[in-house]
Amino acid sequence: MSIVCLGLNHRTASVDIREQFALAESELPALLGKLCEATGASEAVILSTCNRVEIYAVTEDKPVDLISGLRNFMLNGREVPDEVFYEKTGAESVEHLFKVASGLDSMVIGETEILGQLKAAYQVSLGHKRTRGQLNKAFQKAFNVAKQIRTETNIQRGSVSVSSVAVELAGKIFDTLGERSVMVIGAGDTSEKTARALLSRGAENVLVSNRSFDRAETLARDLGGRAVPFDKWESEFADIDIIISSTSASHYVIDRRKLEPLQKLRQHRPLLIVDIAVPRDIEPEVNFLDDVYLYNIDDLQAIAEDYLLLRQEEVAKCEEIIRKKMLELLESLNTRSAPSRPEDSGDSASDVSAAVTPS
Amino acid sequence: MYGVGMLYSFFLWRKGFWRDDWVVYSLLGCGLIFHTIAMAQRGFSLQQCPITNLYEATAFIMWTIVAGFLVVGLWPRLRFLGAFASPMLFVLGVFALIPDMDPPVVEGAHNFSGALGSLHKALLLLSFGAFGLSAVAAAMFLTQEHDLKLHKFRAILSMLPPLQRLESTMSRLLLVGFGLLTLGIGVSGAYHFQPGKTASLGDPMVVWILAVWIFYLVLLLMNWRHAQGGKRFAWGALGSFLFMMLTFWGAMLSHLQRF
Repeated sequence: MSIVCLGLNHRTASVDIREQFALAESELPALLGKLCEATGASEAVILSTCNRVEIYAVTEDKPVDLISGLRNFMLNGREVPDEVFYEKTGAESVEHLFKVASGLDSMVIGETEILGQLKAAYQVSLGHKRTRGQLNKAFQKAFNVAKQIRTETNIQRGSVSVSSVAVELAGKIFDTLGERSVMVIGAGDTSEKTARALLSRGAENVLVSNRSFDRAETLARDLGGRAVPFDKWESEFADIDIIISSTSASHYVIDRRKLEPLQKLRQHRPLLIVDIAVPRDIEPEVNFLDDVYLYNIDDLQAIAEDYLLLRQEEVAKCEEIIRKKMLELLESLNTRSAPSRPEDSGDSASDVSAAVTPS
Repeated sequence: MYGVGMLYSFFLWRKGFWRDDWVVYSLLGCGLIFHTIAMAQRGFSLQQCPITNLYEATAFIMWTIVAGFLVVGLWPRLRFLGAFASPMLFVLGVFALIPDMDPPVVEGAHNFSGALGSLHKALLLLSFGAFGLSAVAAAMFLTQEHDLKLHKFRAILSMLPPLQRLESTMSRLLLVGFGLLTLGIGVSGAYHFQPGKTASLGDPMVVWILAVWIFYLVLLLMNWRHAQGGKRFAWGALGSFLFMMLTFWGAMLSHLQRF
């Protein structure tokens, strides 16, 4: 018996191809049944996310035959280049599963959302009795490996999105985000996300100012804050700690000459300004003022990329853990015949051992 | 131990202060044990608080800084203060070991001058220790502020505390130091008003200590009235301590030569 994996992901397929193969969760139970019937797989799990569609299956026959069957099943008459799909068999498929669970195979290395999606996919198969000893053991081990990697390495350290970097920066300046006031100038998507991220971390007061007052009111209502007319935002400045600016203005909304006297009103409290507008809303010289910390979109993206580099440096450490865990799994399967779940009895250790042995 | 702590601090500096904060804390903790034993031995041999010359006074200030750091470092986010304190401790320690800083005891020169005398000296040196620790927090603040201003990745990666917390740590340590200094000056007054004692405003040490008191009072008042931002306050705390230490030895030597 052998575990095989056939799939496509963001590296092998563009979004227009991935969307052709994406599956809704409600379709999965029926598809699992059809898949097992059509390919002869004894166990199967289908994982479908925005970045990947993968099938993990077990066969008692030749893995090559199952791979061929899975490919036909996935294509279902569609025509795509061969290199869109990747095929993994035996230990390679288990290693791939561990990497997916740990976020090593994700677009944003180390992201954790995939683990939840993988657990959900596994639960669907488990609930419909499409998994037994082999996939149960492999998936449970994959979840354990993901947990170990999360706790023992820095693969998930840091923020890799503009909004979360802004929140992290605020945490480096302010003792606590509670009692902090945030002003959103220009009601764009990214500024809304950043404001929401700050609110979720405890920021108390949000003011929204926009050229269109109606839009400011709508966003303020959504965020639980207050709208301020665009020509009067300066009057609120004394109480503001964080400014998120993303207007479409072609000139600077805040410049050094305007900000310098306002800083005295704030009694020299620190001020974080996040300028995510292009062209920029804030004059760069503002950063030369004492107690003012200005970050534009490039600065935030540079930090996010540095975090990604840091995560990539951790990949080797994670792969070492994955290899070690694979060997441990093999060893335990060779020495213990106890199934991973009571209801899964019936699969011998040698079966699973064969599943993780290279074909 | 303080030297090893300083070497490890350079390593932490290069790595960006994001792990192993306990190493310097442990090194300074071990150093304090030896430091305490050495000071206790000298105190017992002198039969008074061991602050009778420049070497002893410097060692006492160092001891106060380390002891204060070990307490403040109980808060994990402030544990990296040790990485900033150990270079200062090493420099102070090397200075204290300069020949002639610890002259041989002349018989009768260190007669026990009473509890008030020891208390007033100890309070003054404890206050210098608190000022020293606030200068260490100021150095940490300036490092973090500089990195944040220049958008260095290290600023966000490091485990240094947020600027506002460092500022409040600085001001609290300065307040503690100022309180101890005021108390020490008060006890000094009581000590010198004892029968048979004299106090002279012309004594360089008295002038110096009053100048230091006024210096820190102004710094604290400006901070209290929000007349300056965190960066200027940090420069004030750091500069005041450096000025105080650089002039301390001169004032102390003039004082010792007088008597």
